[in-house]
Amino acid sequence: MVGKDCVAIACDLRLGLQALTVSNNFPKIFQYGDVLLGLTGLATDVATVSDLFRYKVNMYRLREERNIAPSTFANLVSSSLYERRFGPYFVSPVVAGLDQKTGKPFICGFDSIGCIDFAKDFIVSGTATEQLFGMCESLWEPDMVRLDLDFRTLFPPGIFFYMMILLKNGQLNHDVECSTIMHIICTSDLNFTNASYQSTFATGFDEFFANNLNLLDDLQCPEDLFETISQALLNAVDRDALSGWGAHVYIIEKDKVTKRLLKGRQD
Amino acid sequence: MDTLVARYSRPTYDETVTEDMEEELLDPVASGLSLKFAMPPVAQPSSWLRSATDDRMNPDCPIKIAHGTTTLAFRFQGGIIVATDSRATSGDWIASQTVKKVIEINDKMLGTMAGGAADCQYWLAWLGMQCRLHELRHKRRISVAAASKILANLVYSYKNMGLSMGTMCAGVTKEEGPALYYIDSDGTRLAGNLFCVGSGQTFAYGVLDAEYKYDLSVEDALALGSRSILAATHRDAYSGGFINLYHVKEQGWEKHGFSDTNPIFWKTKLEKGEFTNVTSELV
Amino acid sequence: MPGFDFSNYNRNAALHARGVPLPKATSTGTTIVGCIFDGGVVIAADTRATSGPIVADKNCEKLHYIAPQIWCAGAGTAADTEFTTSLISSQLELHSLSTDRKPRVVTCMTMLKQHLFRYQGHIGAYLVVAGVDPTGTHLFTVHAHGSTDKLPYVTMGSGSLAAMSVFETQWKGSLTEQDAVNLCSEAIQAGIFNDLGSGSNVDVAIITKDKTTLKRNHIKPNERSKKLKSYAFERGTTAVLKEKIITKKELGRFVDIEEVEPEGEKMDVDT
Repeated sequence: MVGKDCVAIACDLRLGLQALTVSNNFPKIFQYGDVLLGLTGLATDVATVSDLFRYKVNMYRLREERNIAPSTFANLVSSSLYERRFGPYFVSPVVAGLDQKTGKPFICGFDSIGCIDFAKDFIVSGTATEQLFGMCESLWEPDMVRLDLDFRTLFPPGIFFYMMILLKNGQLNHDVECSTIMHIICTSDLNFTNASYQSTFATGFDEFFANNLNLLDDLQCPEDLFETISQALLNAVDRDALSGWGAHVYIIEKDKVTKRLLKGRQD
Repeated sequence: MDTLVARYSRPTYDETVTEDMEEELLDPVASGLSLKFAMPPVAQPSSWLRSATDDRMNPDCPIKIAHGTTTLAFRFQGGIIVATDSRATSGDWIASQTVKKVIEINDKMLGTMAGGAADCQYWLAWLGMQCRLHELRHKRRISVAAASKILANLVYSYKNMGLSMGTMCAGVTKEEGPALYYIDSDGTRLAGNLFCVGSGQTFAYGVLDAEYKYDLSVEDALALGSRSILAATHRDAYSGGFINLYHVKEQGWEKHGFSDTNPIFWKTKLEKGEFTNVTSELV
Repeated sequence: MPGFDFSNYNRNAALHARGVPLPKATSTGTTIVGCIFDGGVVIAADTRATSGPIVADKNCEKLHYIAPQIWCAGAGTAADTEFTTSLISSQLELHSLSTDRKPRVVTCMTMLKQHLFRYQGHIGAYLVVAGVDPTGTHLFTVHAHGSTDKLPYVTMGSGSLAAMSVFETQWKGSLTEQDAVNLCSEAIQAGIFNDLGSGSNVDVAIITKDKTTLKRNHIKPNERSKKLKSYAFERGTTAVLKEKIITKKELGRFVDIEEVEPEGEKMDVDT
């Protein structure tokens, strides 16, 4: 799942034989340097394919003396799967990572014979696919930031309205300029045409941001993306008999990867 | 044209069959619930039904009947404990997490539900009616043995026609003491101390057999019933949801909650140190 | 021909016989069309990819590059259309380099049909091939079994009937570029709205003697309206048992060389 300057990938932990839960600690996400690969499907193939790509990625690194980029890895996965067009591995992989050069989020999914599905929002795979599609379609939103957060309470009221005016006029050119604020303006019903705000709060604005540059950093998206992807996964697997029993969530940011173990239903 | 029409038009149910049945089984007075079932116009209704509903044989079958269950009941000195999970699945899809799988036949007797939900609900409701009629006719409560036999005879008459139920009848009477019977749609009827029925039965038996004694205290018996269901919901994909717990005594049954397994599971794990197979560690 | 690897074939057949369901391949469902106009050719496609009844991708690309002046619209098994076109594209490029001529549409079409015929329809690629080369403007269809057609206007995929109905009622002998783009867009939209396997947007590629113009999402008749409210969860909603932060440094830029212990089981070089 894509967030603002971050991506997330999550999996459940069940390994089952039809109705019998054999293991409840079988992660399906594998990390190859900067890129993460999620594999669902036949457990034997999940193990085989994850090792195969570990080998291929390591060979790439030895040859190229650099980490594999997510998009390159996606094409590697695609061609490796298509090679077995008529005897496929029973897996449907998901790739997630950040482009090391541009920092742009990258996610994609595959069917078992290597057809890539490039998406700019989310990719789902596995037995709970249908439930996950429903959850993600409703919960995901671009540049995952909590929009219920009332910016009016966050900023002093004058500053808030002044920002609105500047943004609307396209005059705001600041480090903290954030598409979220734009989004709020676009969807808000406030009327910002009152020019008097402009003169009243013009001085206050710069001063305010000089002191509070980190204010919008607090609203950074990784935490919100984490909540969204976790809730999407947990609630989807709660409606699928064959998934669940705990979950792993990875949040990938520019300089770090955060891995979390979720407390999910165990039935 | 007429021959064609004749060939394809049949009565919605086969009257000869139902008439036989009515004579065989039914007190004509007791006709509140109908025993006339519409039959599909095919040569072998039962095999036709099976081919349309058996999702194990054919995952793409058009009708997916809700099943997958863990139910248990056991006799002990203080009466009978009846416990069930509450999940209904159709295929892999969890259709409901809040199914009532304990059916209150009347205020003295309980039945449990495993297999086809509709079959169990319908026939246990019908059994409740038969029990009441027995009371009215004979001016005393029906014994559990007799009640279970009414049900067993009924399902036997429908043998191999596609009924799917695995049920337990539990009741306490002065004459019998705590009485527990297992009846399934094959026509089996067994009396016993302890039964587990459904896809999670093996997991429930595992816990129940290890700890079961006839002279368990009421408190311990309730805890054991609940713990057995918890074990089954954990390992069996098709069991889960809530634990439905009942205690049957001579005065009638008593409900001991319909409680979510999730908090119970984590409590059992974190406070009692059980379920160590579930990790809380990150590798 | 780089060969396919059949080593899992017998295993998969055995698994299938024991009741393991075969994985679903993504299919393009699809409406694709092509139409010649005076001075060039237009091809167009919808952008829905399906997996059974599920819409797998709402905005996929079905117009594939073969050569600068040759493009292909693909229907059928999505992976097959993608890889068949890129395979032929690379072979055609090599062919063009060795002959020092511009690639021709017939060559492309012939290579496609020979490749597909060899696989007897098992490669499920249904293609519309269009392009302009020194011999003129061409438009072909290629079916998965290897048969081809040459027509002034063509449709393929599950929405081909809906799209063809538009061509059959509105096509005329001599079209301008704009007319052809409009006609193709109308045909695709007929597929989008009347065929369940097709949907979302219209992609168009216009190929003339001088240039190729790819109009990705030329028409977007199915834009999703903005959500009026957010379902975002409050932070701290999800219960977390453990958390671990891996920093970039720990990941290591290059392969680390480690001493392997005598009984060492660990072979991963990047831990």
